[in-house]
Amino acid sequence: MTLHGPMPDPVSALVAWQLVAPAAALAAIGLPALVGRPLSERATTRVVSLAFSSCFVAALGVLVALANSGFAAQVVHLGRLFAVGHHTASIDLVADGLSVPYVCFSTGLCSLVNAFAGKYLHREPGFTRFFILLALFGTGMNLMVLAGSIDVLFAGWEFLGISSALLIGFFHERRNAVDAALRAFVTYRICDVGLFGASVVIHRATGTGDFATLFSGDWPHATCLVAGPTAVAITLLFAFAALGKSAQVPFSGWLPRAMEGPTPSSAIFYGALSIHAGAYVLLRCESLLDAAPLTAWLLVAVGIGTALHAAVVGSVQTDLKSMLAYASMTQAGIILAEIGLGFRLLPLIHVVSHAILRSLQILRSPSAMHDRHELAAALGGHPGQSSWSVVRLLPRNLSRHLYHLALERGFEETVVSRFVVRPLLAALMAADRAERRWVAVLGGTAADTSTRDPNGGLS
Amino acid sequence: MTATPSTCVAAVAACVLAPLVGVAILRLTERRLDPRIVAIAAITTSLVAAMTAAAWWHLSDDTPILVGHRLAGGDLVHIDGLTALLLPYVAVVDLAIVLVAPRRAFASTGVRRLLLGAAVTFATLATAHPAALTVLWAVSIVATTTTIRSTIGGRATARVYGRMMAVAIACMAIGTALLVADPPWIAGSGTKGAAGGWLVALAVMIRKGLIPFHSWYPALFSGASLATALVVTMPQVATYTAVRLLVGHADGVPHELVVLANAALLTAAYGAALAVVQRDVRSLVGMLAMSQSAMVFAGLSGTVPTELCGALAVWVSSGLALTGIGLVAWALESRGGTISIETLQGRFADAPALAGFFLLFGLAALGFPGTLSFVADDLIIAGSLDDHVHAGVLVILTTFFAAIAVMRGWFRVFGGPVTVDAPRHSILLRERVAFTALLVILFGLGLWPGPFVHSLERVAASLLASRHHATSTVPLGEHP
Repeated sequence: MTLHGPMPDPVSALVAWQLVAPAAALAAIGLPALVGRPLSERATTRVVSLAFSSCFVAALGVLVALANSGFAAQVVHLGRLFAVGHHTASIDLVADGLSVPYVCFSTGLCSLVNAFAGKYLHREPGFTRFFILLALFGTGMNLMVLAGSIDVLFAGWEFLGISSALLIGFFHERRNAVDAALRAFVTYRICDVGLFGASVVIHRATGTGDFATLFSGDWPHATCLVAGPTAVAITLLFAFAALGKSAQVPFSGWLPRAMEGPTPSSAIFYGALSIHAGAYVLLRCESLLDAAPLTAWLLVAVGIGTALHAAVVGSVQTDLKSMLAYASMTQAGIILAEIGLGFRLLPLIHVVSHAILRSLQILRSPSAMHDRHELAAALGGHPGQSSWSVVRLLPRNLSRHLYHLALERGFEETVVSRFVVRPLLAALMAADRAERRWVAVLGGTAADTSTRDPNGGLS
Repeated sequence: MTATPSTCVAAVAACVLAPLVGVAILRLTERRLDPRIVAIAAITTSLVAAMTAAAWWHLSDDTPILVGHRLAGGDLVHIDGLTALLLPYVAVVDLAIVLVAPRRAFASTGVRRLLLGAAVTFATLATAHPAALTVLWAVSIVATTTTIRSTIGGRATARVYGRMMAVAIACMAIGTALLVADPPWIAGSGTKGAAGGWLVALAVMIRKGLIPFHSWYPALFSGASLATALVVTMPQVATYTAVRLLVGHADGVPHELVVLANAALLTAAYGAALAVVQRDVRSLVGMLAMSQSAMVFAGLSGTVPTELCGALAVWVSSGLALTGIGLVAWALESRGGTISIETLQGRFADAPALAGFFLLFGLAALGFPGTLSFVADDLIIAGSLDDHVHAGVLVILTTFFAAIAVMRGWFRVFGGPVTVDAPRHSILLRERVAFTALLVILFGLGLWPGPFVHSLERVAASLLASRHHATSTVPLGEHP
């Protein structure tokens, strides 16, 4: 990444606006809600719309300025949060050939989904809550995309995680939605350890979290500045983080369940932006991947494996949103494989085109079924034949096994539950029982060590 | 500024005396004055006085105010950056408790005990004298045990707490006596001084709830009133005692402190992991409090300013956030009884505002960006990695488990089917004021942490200096 020092003020201001606008919208609708005086529906959607639309226009302005300068990366220093000794926390954003097109695309999509959601969620009890979380998501997304350091990227990543989990559990009165939200949050948190670990390794290796100390040159032709083993460690940890956010095997179980959330959030999170956050992080550190072939091949293997898994499992789903979830998973897997194979512009184009198509499909899904039923009624039968499948060419026995495998979602969750979740929770519950017995002995009472759900309620 | 050290001492004295005056007024005007109003007035006075003392320290040249001869290596009144940081913090916690406490908590002698406990805590935080600390520990423990015993169903908890704290007090008394006989502040500790240091460390481990003496911590949250549990645990008097008695030895960072730090790291990770499988909100808050307060200790033994700053920031951020979670849980309990988290409780429709506050306090406790705990975690991880890699790894594990525990608790309490005729409880104004004030501090200092972190750096520098200056030959009875 070439650093040309501070950008001219107007462009710096436009880049800074990417954070200020959604954060201001968050405060504008969040604070009145906190004091028990939420804004009206119209005011809420207008505030969020204004924020994202202005971000989109500002991002286009930066894109034009950047195109004029040949897409040379430029850093915008927003300020220092604090400093203790040699440890400094500052907010540095980077505008380059990856971040600015991506932020144009993400803010544009957020604007459209905001417009759709304003109608779709009309008179919904959680109307304000949805838009608070959308603004939080937008702030996090822009923070992550424009991050010039691992610390800023991590902050944005956390915003995505919490807003995603809360939107999955948006319909809090539904048991499935709450379970799905907790499952997604736990998966995110497990994979966040990867990003946390990467941050630690970067700080120890370079003494700072700035990406400028990791690679130099303009995206997508940057040069790795750290030693091979360090690059391998960092990219492996980034890849681990990406697997969770992009719902790759063995962390894919949360994605189909995430469709419990409202349709607009499903579209923007799991069809468009959140599911590609992992791919974005890997694209950001593409030069490190060049120095870490082990990680690159791992990404290819996991990506292709997930794509096959999702394609097979998706083919037996009986509801539209689950089918779309698995279709997203398939494409996310292919994108990771492309990154692993060394492509740079192709996965970026793939991300944008897939995100636009998939979010359109998800937004359309509630009315698509209705339209299909109306069409069937008008035609007096189902419109069109069922699609041809390559599975028909397989031997009957094999196709039956494949069908069983697809119905069981590849036994992915069974394996993870049996060999990881259950043993860990069993150990924790045994420790908890021992604690209660010991307290009972000290207090001279009988301990309550009744048997509980072996999954500790996390199943 | 025309303030002098005597102004600061007077402010600290006012901070200690205000709750005692409140107790006297309540006793004299039994049932004629609203106990909550008196308590709010008393604690607010303490808060203003504490802020005055803090302001004085911030404008000073970091020289501690020492009053009373340094008999046996401690000053009867010792006001420095740590005191200036902790007095307002404890006052804010106490004020929030007084604001949110349900009416029944003010029906008995509860409010008088709460004010008495606040006065003892303020006094503890303003002294470094071993004997004074021991006496104040004893007073606080006896008062707490009596309070727990008077709680319905609290006898077993009182026994657990009382037995463990009796051992702690015995260790503290013998340990401080040995330290007085052979002060390690002058030229390294002899046999008596070393034994004294270890006994004080043992007392601190018990009072702090560090592994393997941690069992009373969740028991206190389960069996005592939440006010008692929060008042006892949030100020972290044991940590303060360790800083005063174990830091500043002539032979560098004592082994006791290193052992305490490692036990604290284990406690932090273990408590956070166990929080994931708790069955009710009180146990959840108890385990989280045990875990987060241990993190403070993990950083206090550090040798770099970043780690010490992180520890102090965790002290304040986790204390305020967990106070918030505990008080929201108390507010919910006062509306609908004990809250299990074994199944979905569906309380969102009942109390949407409390759901919002619980979530925000949860985020503030688990290191969410934009909160003080994010800054604190950043500092403590950066610092502990400079010092010990294993410490950083355990801190990461702790934050991982704590986040899952908090979100699981939130989803379990507020998520789930709602019955149509379920009661609806709007949030009270005093509750909203208390929760909003706590959040303003947590998010305000998280979004604009510079000045606060700078003041923490000064406190950390003075603590580190106290570790090194002990080799000087200044007689104990003479003040700098």
